Amino acid sequence: MTPFLDVFCTQTDRHNVFYPLLRQIMNKDSQMRAAINQKLIEMGERERLKELLRAKLVECGWRDQLKAHCKDVIREKGLEHVTVEDLVTEVTPKGRALVPDSVKKELLQRIRAFLAQHATL
Amino acid sequence: MKMEDMPLSGPDNTKLEALVHDIYSELVEDACLGLCFEVHRAVKQGYFFLDETDQESMKEFEIVDQPGVDIFGQVYNQWKNKECECPNCKRLIAASRFAPHLEKCLGMGRNSSRIANRRLASNNNMSKSESDQEDNDDLNDNDWSYGAEKKAKKRKSDKVFLHFKQLSFIHLSLQIFLFIHFSCGENVDH
Repeated sequence: MTPFLDVFCTQTDRHNVFYPLLRQIMNKDSQMRAAINQKLIEMGERERLKELLRAKLVECGWRDQLKAHCKDVIREKGLEHVTVEDLVTEVTPKGRALVPDSVKKELLQRIRAFLAQHATL
Repeated sequence: MKMEDMPLSGPDNTKLEALVHDIYSELVEDACLGLCFEVHRAVKQGYFFLDETDQESMKEFEIVDQPGVDIFGQVYNQWKNKECECPNCKRLIAASRFAPHLEKCLGMGRNSSRIANRRLASNNNMSKSESDQEDNDDLNDNDWSYGAEKKAKKRKSDKVFLHFKQLSFIHLSLQIFLFIHFSCGENVDH
């Protein structure tokens, strides 16, 4: 149990006060997010964005940079013993940081345009 | 700056802006994970460091482009005109005709009327036919293997008959024993 829940110590407190409150706070937000994510997928826009990102990252050399970093990680951990978790923990933060600004801006712009068209408030 | 480049403003729009950034982060993370999986597979399958092979090995495995030879440098039609000895009939057969010849010779291929050959073979040798799945299928398929079917059936009924004989012997002897036991018992004074 999370420490937060200790504030509402009795079972009835939790069910009568905490969960409904949480549901109300989360509801509108998460509903809207869920609806937008669903629209992104259904209209194929998420797939298109993924492909666009992949193409741009290959073009700007991000992929090769990160692959070189992977080689270092593998040489460090040993070829036989490297696991997916090792790679993910070492590579993902660096990957996120290495995305060039132009690529990031373009993607954000496209997502904003999609939301402006399809988000209902 | 164009209008669409500016982040959205306003209270609801800060939420939207946060959502935009979240969607972007998800996409970037997908790309990173994709790379990790690809690299991990390459490591485990052993082709990750292939681009770092030395020049010598690279030369050894270069694509060959000469006439009469395939890309690996092997001659690919040197067995065309050879002859092989059939292990069954001891004749010399051309290599390209060898497989069909073996089918007919050994009686094992799809079109070799193997049932006829089997019957001939079994009549010659007077041995029991094997109960292969293949054989049974053949027997079921053809009308003129009636003789073989009848033989199999008869043998089966022979077995049944034998057991019956044994049972009736036991039954008979039991009856006799009981008859003697009870008839003698009547005469005995307790």
